[in-house]
Amino acid sequence: MPHSDEGIIDKLWNLFSSMKTGLFLLGVIAVSAGVGTLIPQAHLYTSVWFEFLLGLLCINLVVCSVQRFGGVYQKTFKPSLPANAAEVPAKIQVQLSGEKQGLQASILKVLRQHGYRITQNADSGAWRFLAQKKRWGNWGSFITHIAFVILIAGALLGSIAGFKGFLSAGIGSTVPIQKINLTKGQISENFAIKINAAEDRILPNGERDNWYTDLSVLENGQEVVRRTLSVNHPFSYHGVTFYQAQFSQGAKFDVDYKGQHMPAVLQNRGENYFQAPGTDLYLIVAAMKTDPQDLIVLYQVYKGNAPEPVKTAQLKMGETANIENAYTLKFEGLVPITGLQVKKDPGVGIVWLGSFLLLLGLLLSFYWRPLMLTGVWDEEQSLVVIGAAAGKRSSKAQEDLNSLSLTIKAEYALPKGEE
Amino acid sequence: MNEALKNGEVFSLYGLVLSYFFSMLGYWVWLALKKEWFGRLATVLAILGLTANTVAIILRTIIAQRPPLSNAYEFILTFCWGIVAVYLFTEFKYKLKALGSFVFPIVILLLGFVILKMGPQDRVAQAIPPALKSQWLTIHVLTAMLAYGAFAISFGLGIMYLLKDRPNKGIIVRFPSTLVLDEIAYKVVGFAFPMLTLVILTGAVWANYAWGTYWSWDPKETWSLITWIIYAGYLHARLMYGWQGKRAAWLAVLGFLAVLFTFFGVNYFLPGLHSYAS
Ligand code: HEM
Repeated sequence: MPHSDEGIIDKLWNLFSSMKTGLFLLGVIAVSAGVGTLIPQAHLYTSVWFEFLLGLLCINLVVCSVQRFGGVYQKTFKPSLPANAAEVPAKIQVQLSGEKQGLQASILKVLRQHGYRITQNADSGAWRFLAQKKRWGNWGSFITHIAFVILIAGALLGSIAGFKGFLSAGIGSTVPIQKINLTKGQISENFAIKINAAEDRILPNGERDNWYTDLSVLENGQEVVRRTLSVNHPFSYHGVTFYQAQFSQGAKFDVDYKGQHMPAVLQNRGENYFQAPGTDLYLIVAAMKTDPQDLIVLYQVYKGNAPEPVKTAQLKMGETANIENAYTLKFEGLVPITGLQVKKDPGVGIVWLGSFLLLLGLLLSFYWRPLMLTGVWDEEQSLVVIGAAAGKRSSKAQEDLNSLSLTIKAEYALPKGEE
Repeated sequence: MNEALKNGEVFSLYGLVLSYFFSMLGYWVWLALKKEWFGRLATVLAILGLTANTVAIILRTIIAQRPPLSNAYEFILTFCWGIVAVYLFTEFKYKLKALGSFVFPIVILLLGFVILKMGPQDRVAQAIPPALKSQWLTIHVLTAMLAYGAFAISFGLGIMYLLKDRPNKGIIVRFPSTLVLDEIAYKVVGFAFPMLTLVILTGAVWANYAWGTYWSWDPKETWSLITWIIYAGYLHARLMYGWQGKRAAWLAVLGFLAVLFTFFGVNYFLPGLHSYAS
């Protein structure tokens, strides 16, 4: 029994350690993402099977990385010396003949001047060496792959543990964080936001500078922080971040309910409603004309659950209307309404870490190519064979090695004791 | 003052269009007739065009008081700059004049779009919404310019490879060997891929400041990811299966088509956050 089990595990391991599988998964992800842009309603990217694909890709990347870790580690920190001249790469090679001591000294000197780290062994009279440069480049693809997994993990954490919502409020209003409209997740925090001021700032040349909201955070009714935020300049409090997202004008009313005055701020197109206490009347603003010379709102009153309004009428600035004999309504003008995106994403730091590592890995992969030379002293022919590991560079490697060998020859030819 | 700057910009636009156009003709004639003189002329015109292109971008930046990132006209100006800059670098580094014949038609097609499809009113510097006022977008645009430019070069090299990879006859004989074409294409993609990664990541950082969402699967984002995956495929396939050569060349061609679709197709065919850019 354990035998066949191992077989399956081995097979799975082989499947997931294969780059073919990885490329296949990447291909499927690319194609389905492309299809998703053509059929935008499909909610593809949040679907379980899309997440499943990403999960498989991550497993693939982890398995691949685990498998390659040892090799990369050894290549970087414990590279093995060539046992004999046959182990020196033959494709990219030079031979330098001369007298052993002098040649050895020149080689070491020139390679060190060129920034190589040298490991050597001279037991039993045979001199063998290995020279490395930019050895951290070996870690490029390893770091890239792990970084991608970290990035996905951060995104996943954010989608599980975070929330996303929207708050829109007029100046002077206080909104408990628990009351905002959520589109995702749940809120465990318990503070409130007070909108002190909001401004649509226009530059002298007529262009919009930005939208600003001056808000305070209240803990148990006490102000603890006060801040001004604007588009591209969000503000965070205890992991909850507020982003300036919208700006509009709302209609401000004074409601006279049996001699008691209370304010009501309503947004255009029925975005919110006002319910006078003790009534089942719901007041909304269906449309408004914001010309400063000619301010008009079109309001509607709904009763209970009835689908049709019981009243639809207009009010000009300063006018008063009687609402179903329950209260009177005075239209006092416009007030700014600020719209804030509210978000908590505990995964975002991990996403940035993954992004940073991804870039680091790519920079190492493509801009920090490791170089490795190996060489062996051939006692019989009295020469040193030096070869370069080809890596991913090929045509220029031989040229580079040739020019290095010229420098070594020049160094070797230098009369000693004059330096 | 502002009028003078605007006139200067229009003047540079015509200058760069004419220089690039005659440069393309020069590269063609050079390739066909093997007259060194035309080759040199083509390169000089390309450098002239790039200078005018640089001036146009700088003037636009001064006029608009922001980096050139608000409309298709500005994107095309920077796209062309990236293509020609990376092209000239490649020509000098690898002594590869024949590539010019394949790269400049892309530039001319892009500029043709400006000349034929855009009136002066589409080219004026517009006010940008507050969301676009971000330092991250400056890096976003700069890196996109270089990444897209380099991908155009690898596309040209891919086409050359596919033409060369057949019984040699005619002007194709003047191309470098397929081995050399393949290796240069790989180097160019190796430069561009980290850049494209940076483009996507700076876009994500910006979106996170602006909306609190670093990734929202809007069509432009999604297509940039698809492009990224195609080039990741190119790098891996090349590395592992000995997919060097022909299939890699096809992937380089496909990758650039994805770049173009991200650039144009998304703005014109698909709705989304980036649609203010059209
Ligand atoms: C998520 C997208 C991926 C990216 C961005 C990526 C990136 C890279 C890069 C930049 C390299 C170095 C290429 C070069 O030096 O030419 C590389 C190599 C490699 N990748 Fe990936 N990779 C991804 C996915 C995968 C997957 C899914 C697998 C399979 C498990 C995989 C396996 C490998 C292997 C085995 C190498 C060879 C490394 C070497 O020989 O140095 N990669 N990858």
